[in-house]
Amino acid sequence: MIADMREALEEVLGPISEPVLLPGGASKEAWSVDAGDERLLVRRAGGGVIHRHTLSLRHEFDVLQAAHEAGVKVPRPVAYIEDLDGREAFVMERLEGETIGRRIVREPVPERLPLQMAEELAKIHALPPERLPFLEAATIDRLVDELDEVGEPHPAIELGLWWLRENRPPEREPVVVHGDFRIGNLVVDESGLVGVLDWEFAHLDDPARDLAFSLVRAWRFGADHLRLGGIGDAEPYLERYNELTGFDVRPEELDYWEVAGNVGWAIGCLTQAQRHLTGQDRSVELAILGRLGAEVEYEICHLLEKQGVT
Amino acid sequence: MSERPTPDELAEAIEEFLAGEILPTLEDRRLRFRLLVALNALGILRRELTKVPPENHAEQRELAARIREGDVPAGTLAHVKADVAARLQIDSPRYLDRY
Repeated sequence: MIADMREALEEVLGPISEPVLLPGGASKEAWSVDAGDERLLVRRAGGGVIHRHTLSLRHEFDVLQAAHEAGVKVPRPVAYIEDLDGREAFVMERLEGETIGRRIVREPVPERLPLQMAEELAKIHALPPERLPFLEAATIDRLVDELDEVGEPHPAIELGLWWLRENRPPEREPVVVHGDFRIGNLVVDESGLVGVLDWEFAHLDDPARDLAFSLVRAWRFGADHLRLGGIGDAEPYLERYNELTGFDVRPEELDYWEVAGNVGWAIGCLTQAQRHLTGQDRSVELAILGRLGAEVEYEICHLLEKQGVT
Repeated sequence: MSERPTPDELAEAIEEFLAGEILPTLEDRRLRFRLLVALNALGILRRELTKVPPENHAEQRELAARIREGDVPAGTLAHVKADVAARLQIDSPRYLDRY
């Protein structure tokens, strides 16, 4: 199989080194190859999809190209390959740096990282939606549908959804959002943010939702006291974002969308576990998410308590 | 009294085998990572086997449906949070120390 893949890649890239499968990535494969002195990464479809709102690799590649043209820090897109040994794939630059959340929050945090995160988001949210006509708008109702598809009772998630319905802030004009912008999907080195990865959840949405996603406790990787992804406080990040976009996102909106991010991830844990339970994609990593979702549910309760719910 | 070894003792045996004998032989980072995740799942299973489940499925279903209807009297959150905490005692006991 590796030989077939190498041959197919060489048709596009010329002579390359032996592809090496990288660890992690439950829904997509990542292969490391070198073409001459170009360090490349091949992102290839896995067995299933995370859920039906995931972009195809073709569309993800389009988004990556649009982001790259707009000067967002992303790996340089190289080529889309419709059939790479039976599955779609694309090739991009392989950035040097750390992506593992646990390691990033343990190392000394580059001073500029929180502001750089705000700067990249500001650029992403300015991408012209007409350049990416396939992007869909997301709603809270979509979360409810996903939960109903799982079919298990989860009162804590229901409470979160109830609170979100009752406390919806005034709607903002939807923009192009990354959809999974957080530590773990960012390449970081000593100097700070090197690149934004994993664009498969890009869609149209309230910009504050994207801005708040990196506050979700699960993405603080144990450094819980630092609300922004275990690496910093939320205030300077918010300020910098507002300064660049003029959106004037209020702290209460961050609070609201932090709850929404947790509700979304709690449901995400359940849908991921379903992939294992239904046999779509058997994996102990997916299975255990069905249990670890309880952590996220606890956080939802904690956040609602802070909002005065009893 | 159930037959010995009990279910959790059997699970413990598997855990010891994987952690003690298999893990040290693995050099592939991906396989090592996946074995650690599997061991974590086994730990949950062992704790589950030694505890009575704290929640009643039918009751949870009814509660979820009521909240969906917007019927959320005072005290609902406290009740739900206690249920989640009980689940965490099985699923991820150390997580509760983080609050």
